[in-house]
Amino acid sequence: MSLLSITDLAAGYGPLEVLHGFDLQVNQGEIVVILGANGAGKTTTMRAISGMIPRRGRIVFDGQDISSSSPDSIVRLGIAQVPQGRGTFADLTVEDNMLAGAYIRRDEVLADVERWFDVFPRLRERRSQRAGSLSGGEQQMLAIARALMSRPRLLLCDEPSLGLAPLITQELFGVLKKLNAEEGLSILLVEQNANLALKVAHRVYLLETGNVVSSGSAAELAADDSIRKAYLGS
Amino acid sequence: MERLLQYVFDGLSLGSIYALLALGLVVVFRGTGHLNFAQGEMAMICTFFTWQFHAWGLPLVVSVLLGMVAGFVLGAGVEVSLIRRVAKKSEAGVFVVSIAMFLGFNSLAGMIWGNLPPEEMPSLFPDEPDDFVRIFGAVWRYEYIGIMIVALLLMGLLFLLFAKTKFGLAMRAVASNPESARLVGIPTGVVLAASWGIAAAMGALSGAMVGGLAGELTSLLMFTPFIYASASATLGGFDSPGGAVIAGLLIGVGEQLAAGYAPGWIGQELRLGVALVTIFVVLLFKPSGLFGSTKVERV
Repeated sequence: MSLLSITDLAAGYGPLEVLHGFDLQVNQGEIVVILGANGAGKTTTMRAISGMIPRRGRIVFDGQDISSSSPDSIVRLGIAQVPQGRGTFADLTVEDNMLAGAYIRRDEVLADVERWFDVFPRLRERRSQRAGSLSGGEQQMLAIARALMSRPRLLLCDEPSLGLAPLITQELFGVLKKLNAEEGLSILLVEQNANLALKVAHRVYLLETGNVVSSGSAAELAADDSIRKAYLGS
Repeated sequence: MERLLQYVFDGLSLGSIYALLALGLVVVFRGTGHLNFAQGEMAMICTFFTWQFHAWGLPLVVSVLLGMVAGFVLGAGVEVSLIRRVAKKSEAGVFVVSIAMFLGFNSLAGMIWGNLPPEEMPSLFPDEPDDFVRIFGAVWRYEYIGIMIVALLLMGLLFLLFAKTKFGLAMRAVASNPESARLVGIPTGVVLAASWGIAAAMGALSGAMVGGLAGELTSLLMFTPFIYASASATLGGFDSPGGAVIAGLLIGVGEQLAAGYAPGWIGQELRLGVALVTIFVVLLFKPSGLFGSTKVERV
């Protein structure tokens, strides 16, 4: 069943159109990766789904049209985004970052804070430190934990590997994979690192200058020669 | 010694008014990154509202509270109808708009209430000549004590709001990273409008207290306090609420000491110079203020 269904999505900044009308689906329980070079429109796609920029076309989430919804109502419906460059609240404590992530919820959230501290123990050690003082990897974990605090059904991750050491990146992807397998969390991930992406993805979309040029299962794309050459370097 | 105590006490009392106004400037600045030059004039016009409610026969305390409500509506309204729209097009435009509001509110007050002799403004506190206590020889007027308590109380409440409530968390989140605040579902527009509203409501209260001290109301009421408040916000750091309060008190005391101990060359006439010199020196040597943050972030 399709959880997120995008048809003919076009978006951009002012007069500059970045996305030229493509389709994309995320099914319930899937990890879908959008692969593409710098400037392909990956981040713009994420921002369009989250309602941060004006967009045309149809975006349907869980049967509801969100093409013209505001960011806060989209979060309420169950989509959370981990923005590129982490976007933590640098001068708030780790714990306040988590609580801010649960802004849309009215129920008891403290149990959830502890739960994600179990998944990311290093955040627990630093719970009363300002987020700006954390290392890059810790900030990325915080950004993911903060997004999870809204109890999303679809997690959008915008290049979580950016600027991180390979080992940390691997750890992060392990967590994402586990969340998907154990909690059934659907994930839409943007990556430049194709090797990494193909390892966790169920399906992959290849984005080039604002259009989807290829898509399929991770295995299919990994087997495609031209894609191997362009994105895997072998 | 008595003299020193007297100046310090008077300074703390006046300083708490500056602190209140400065806190308003900081709340707005943290939310939207704008310096609201019309903060003082908005406070002035709200004080006229207060006076009007009182003139219609409402008790003074009720009138002040209504004046604060009017201030909240005015502040939020200005943000939604003017600031937000202009900020989308140009940041410098907001600066111009706030100068325009300064002049606009000033003229508006003159137009509505101006052609009468200055309105008499009663004080919220007992202010007969003999309403004071002597503590260690210094005269502590009830009015000054009252001002200090009310201002500090309101500021205390505000700090509780920042630190302990969900709305305060949202305000801090928006101040820290507006983009991420939207991504976690915080309706940033509501938060910003409310910040302007809160700032204007605090201005309304300071206006009522300044008016009570002066005993009369003119459209120039808040001009001087606003300059002291700007100096306080500059000294404390524009993004530091705690800094604004401490700096407000410091400037209040400093101004009294300067005027009191150097009556010959500073005296009553040049007191304002203390504020201007403070702004100048701070901007020259420590532009982020005593408690402001020069943003540090690891990436």
